[in-house]
Parts: sequence; C-alpha cells; structure tokens
Amino acid sequence: MKKLILVAVQEYKRNVWKKSFILALMSMPIIIILGVGLGVVISNLENNDLPVGYVDKAGLFSDPIRIPAKSRPVDFIAYESQEKAQGALENGETQAFYVISGDYFTSNTIELFYIQEPGKNATRQFYDFVQLNLVALEFPDIAERVASGSNLILRSIDGKRELPDGEPPLSVFLPLMISFAIVILLLMSSGYMMHAVVEEKENRTMEVVITSLSPTQLMGGKVLGVLGISFTQLVVWTIFGFMAIVIASQGLGIEWFQNPTIDWFGILLIVLLAIPTFVTASALMMAIGSTVTETQEAQWVVSIFMVLFWIPVWLIGIIGDAPNALLPMVLSFLPFTSLMTIGIRNMFVYLPYWQIGISIVTQLLFAVAAVWLAGRTFRVGMLRYGQKVSLKEVFGRHAVEIK
Amino acid sequence: MKIVEVSQIAKSFGDTKAVRDVTFSVNPGEIFGMLGPNGAGKTTTIRIMLDIFKPDQGEVSIFGGSMTEEKKERIGYMPEERGLYQDISLNKCLIYLGSLKGLSKADVETRLDPLLERFDLADHKQKIVKELSKGMQQKAQIINTILHQPDLIIIDEPFTSLDPINTQMVKDVMRELRENGTTIIMSTHQMHQVEELSDRIILINEGRDVLYGDLDEIRRSYAGNAVLIRTTGDLPVIKGVEQSLSSNGAVKLILETGTNPQDVLHRLSEENVVIEKFEIDVPNLDEIFIQVVEAGDTR
Repeated sequence: MKKLILVAVQEYKRNVWKKSFILALMSMPIIIILGVGLGVVISNLENNDLPVGYVDKAGLFSDPIRIPAKSRPVDFIAYESQEKAQGALENGETQAFYVISGDYFTSNTIELFYIQEPGKNATRQFYDFVQLNLVALEFPDIAERVASGSNLILRSIDGKRELPDGEPPLSVFLPLMISFAIVILLLMSSGYMMHAVVEEKENRTMEVVITSLSPTQLMGGKVLGVLGISFTQLVVWTIFGFMAIVIASQGLGIEWFQNPTIDWFGILLIVLLAIPTFVTASALMMAIGSTVTETQEAQWVVSIFMVLFWIPVWLIGIIGDAPNALLPMVLSFLPFTSLMTIGIRNMFVYLPYWQIGISIVTQLLFAVAAVWLAGRTFRVGMLRYGQKVSLKEVFGRHAVEIK
Repeated sequence: MKIVEVSQIAKSFGDTKAVRDVTFSVNPGEIFGMLGPNGAGKTTTIRIMLDIFKPDQGEVSIFGGSMTEEKKERIGYMPEERGLYQDISLNKCLIYLGSLKGLSKADVETRLDPLLERFDLADHKQKIVKELSKGMQQKAQIINTILHQPDLIIIDEPFTSLDPINTQMVKDVMRELRENGTTIIMSTHQMHQVEELSDRIILINEGRDVLYGDLDEIRRSYAGNAVLIRTTGDLPVIKGVEQSLSSNGAVKLILETGTNPQDVLHRLSEENVVIEKFEIDVPNLDEIFIQVVEAGDTR
C-alpha cells in the first residue's frame, strides 16, 4: 500500500506542476470568465439603462401605463418641450429623447434625438411603451391586462417537467453542464493515464519499477494519481463555477443565475454514469498505452476517443427533437456516448427509470470488461519496448506473460 | 545457502523457445558471470529469476525460497534496457526510485551524495535527466541499482556506453561490493569483462546452458597441450613440438601427445635459450565459446 501511495504521489506531483496541467486547469475558468465577461461587455455595449425622455406633442400619454421590463428596465421621462428634453440630454440626464409629432395619428411620426446611439433595451422598451399606450387609448382594460404580463409555463415534451417564467432555469442546464465538464475532465484524465503508461515504456523504466513493486501496485498507484489530478481539476472548476454564479447573480445581477435550484436527481444520475465511464476510459487508455510505442502515437489515439465522446453534442438537434427516439436511446447505452446523451436528454424529458437502469448497468459492464482488457494488455505489452502488441497476442493463449 | 538456485527452467513466447533448459546456482558473495551471445536467453532467464516472467517449467529459488515483496527490496537490478524518468531532475528521480525500494527520503539523501561524488555526478544532480549524457545516465542507473545496499545485484550489460575510465571505476565498485559480501550476477556478451571479474560463470547459447562452473577450472579444462614462449633469440627446433605459431610477439608451441610443457622447458634450458616468457596456453572465453558452439557441446 505504501508503494502504491508513493507511485500515486509521484504521478500527481509530476503532473500538477507542469505548465500544461496548470494551463488545462485554468482553461475552463478562463473560458467561463471570457464567456461571461464577453456577454457582459456586449450587453453593456448594446444596452443603456439611463432614462429616455419624450415630448408628447400629440397628447398620447396623459396617464401612461408602464410595462415592467424583466431585464435592464429603462425609465421614461416626459418633457414639456423639445428644448427641455434637449437640455436633459446634453446634461447627461437622459441617453436620448423621442418627439411624438402633433400629427402622429395621421403621420405616425416619432423622431429620435441622441448624442450617442441609445441602448437597444431603451429603443425596444419605448416601442412597447408606445404600442401599449396606443392600445390604452381605445381599450384601457386590455392595455392593463397586457401590462400585467403573462404567466408563461414551458412544459417538456413528455409533459412531466414545467419551466416557470418560460425560460429553462439554471437547474435544467446544470446536469448537462456538469456532464460537459466531466467529459472534458475525463478526456484529460484518460490522456494522463495513457501518457503515464506510455512514458514508463518510452523511458524504459517499467522493468526497473516492477522489480520494486507489483504491476498491480504500479498501475493502481498511477490510477490513484490520475484520480487525484482529476479531483484537483474538479475542485478548482467547481470553485470557479460557484464563484461565477455568485458574481453573475449578485455582482452583475443576471436574473438567470439568481435563486438557482439544483436538480439533484439529474446530478446524481450524471455522477453515477461518470464513475464507470471514467473507469472504462482510463482502463482503455491504459490498454492502448501498453500497445503503442510512443507518446505521439498515444495522442493520436486519444483524439479518436475525443470524437466518440462528442458525438451526442453534434447530434444535439436530433436528440432534442426526439429525446426518446431510437438513436438517443441507443446512444444512452453505449460507452463514451452515454454520459453526454443522458445529460442532453435529461434537459428535455424525464428519462424512464428502466433506461437509466440499463444505461448504468451497461456502463458498469463496459467498465469491468475494460479493466480486464487493460490488465491483460498491460501484462503482455509492458516490456515490449519499441514494439506494438497485436490483438492476437492480447487474446492469444500466451497472452499473460507477466506475473 | 545459495543466493539463487535455478533448476531446469524453460520459457517460450509463442513458437519461440527463449529458454530451453537452464540450471545453475549462485553462491553468496561471488561475482557470477552470465554469458552468451545476443538473443541467447540471458535476459529472459534474469526476468524469470526476478519473478517478472513465470517459467513454463522449472523452479527458481531466491534467498532460499520464492520471490516475495520483501525479497525484492534486497535485490538491485539494472536491466539491459536502461531507464530513468527523463523529465525530472536526477536527484528527484533517484529519490523516487530509491523510495520504491523501501528507503526513506532521508536515507536516500544520506546515501546518495557519496555515491554521486564517487560516480562524478554530484554537479549534475539538479539537472533534468534528459540533459545528461548516455554515459552519465548509465552511471546514474548503477547508483540506483546499489543505492539501497542490496544483498543481490543483477546487472545486465553493465559496461555498455561507458568509457574506459568509467568502465574501470564500475569494475572497482563491483569488486568492493563483492568484498563487502554482496552477490553480483553480471550478464554480458563481452566475455573479456567476465574473465576479469567473475568467479564462476554460466554460458548460455540458444536457450541452453552450455558451460557452467568455476572460471579457472573451465579454462583449464579447455586448455590444449600448448605453451606460449618468448625468447631473446631464435627458437631452436624442439623435439615433441607438433606445430609452431606466432602469437602476439610470442610463439605458440602445440605439443605432440605425450609431450608436456615441463619437457619443453627442460629442452630449452639444455639448448641455453634465454626465456623471457613461458606459460601454459589457456584459451580465453571467446575461444572456449567458439569451441563449445562448434562442437555442439553441452555440459
């Protein structure tokens, strides 16, 4: 056990201090920061929350009705004359002002005055403001009803999931986001796993090391080390994710991130699938690492695995259109595609329990088979310096040459 | 108690018979030479001894029994395929490998510095391994092999990549280790290195042991009826000499059956020949090996 820990610590320390690891570790937070930051910058560039003035020469708005805007509301200030509105604009009290011409009912003319182009939120909300108050002139009750808004509820295709306010909340996306992060984590980790095996072969250290400890201790230690690396990434990403939600909801006031509810079942499901998927991927990487001869070749094989993991993302449109169709169901049961497919389907429908059960069981079976294959391949290939291992050798009668 | 006892081991890989029938034992505190051409089965035999491969037949006993985790820590092994972690410092690499042999970090550091000094690597210990020359890396591997002060050292082709000075230093280290009671098994195809260091040998060819025993006895048993002579003047015709051959500034006299070296010496003395050198011609291991292989001899 002590030697297993030694190998694990060595594997961990050698990787976490590498520039490539730190870069990979920070990649997700950087992407989040850039994504959120870019969104905020674009939003700020497009929108402006300063009040907008208006001069109502047509007498449309004697007692105007306000539409409560959901995001970035803009206040509308009435001015008696164009001069006063102009003065407020020049003093920076407003971002723009509209002049509703006296013959509006015949000409439909409204003029907009600004120094810098007003925010899209301002022009959009003023358009709604005018429309609503025009309706109010003839049908005040209907206008009041429109102003009070609607209670839109989105339902999932199977009718089992309700999305209040008409927008999928963060909780619906969270399991998919977690499965997305886990797949990235998994690809990186299994890459480390493969590299750990290939490196021992490439450096010719395998033979020295296995005379100090058993192959099981060696590989167990490496798996533990890689798990530690993955856990470090997971913790860092979780902290950054949490911070991003707090900053987005509290600091930037983005409504979508406020009062998030957690879909614990969805998260549990993803975790239950992630564990056997992680074992399968790591074991297969170890097996492939034992058969290839150099790191470059190993990296080429990793890229093939990346393709398999991302298939559900490419098919997200098809899966979203018919989440319970044959293709999404089959993808839910296959190794590599299962995790992301379940994550995507869970966003649209409640998955039948029998499908969840089959998916978890098949992933466990694939994990067991992968571990068996990895053990066999590792024993055949670990001392084959500069030589590839064929399938015949792996499955042949003489496969297990190493004790 | 024998340190190693190998009894009739055999090992095949598919249709290739790497080891067919090898039996030998190694005594405590000796340098045991394992000889043979490339592909003879030496490395496979070593891997079976170290419990890396399981033999198809036969038995191996290490320190009086089967291999255990504890016994692994009493063995230092330098395989023919050299290996160190390339992207970490030499110091860290040796500390890690030493700790896998059961040493604490403090123990490794205490033992490491004198060895690095001895092998002229002290100034390079903070360097990344891949920055070291091939010869330096080989010396580092020798340090790794002896760092935990093992009772048994198994070293495969120890002098490859070493210059004459370092070769001599490694030989000196091996002799010192033997004097301190360490048992060494040295596998090589360089027969002259074994002649210089080994007490006993086994010669393996095509997976079989073809010679085994005390080195001096083996050489004597393969000695022909010949003497090597160097004199100041011309050599006279000597009765009982079948053939006379020049050999490295000396003359090799192959004697007729019934003539012994003492007779030759006596006759030279009678002829008043001034003798600078007179020795029984004992074949070297290369010559013995060729004889054995050509004759299809086995022990």
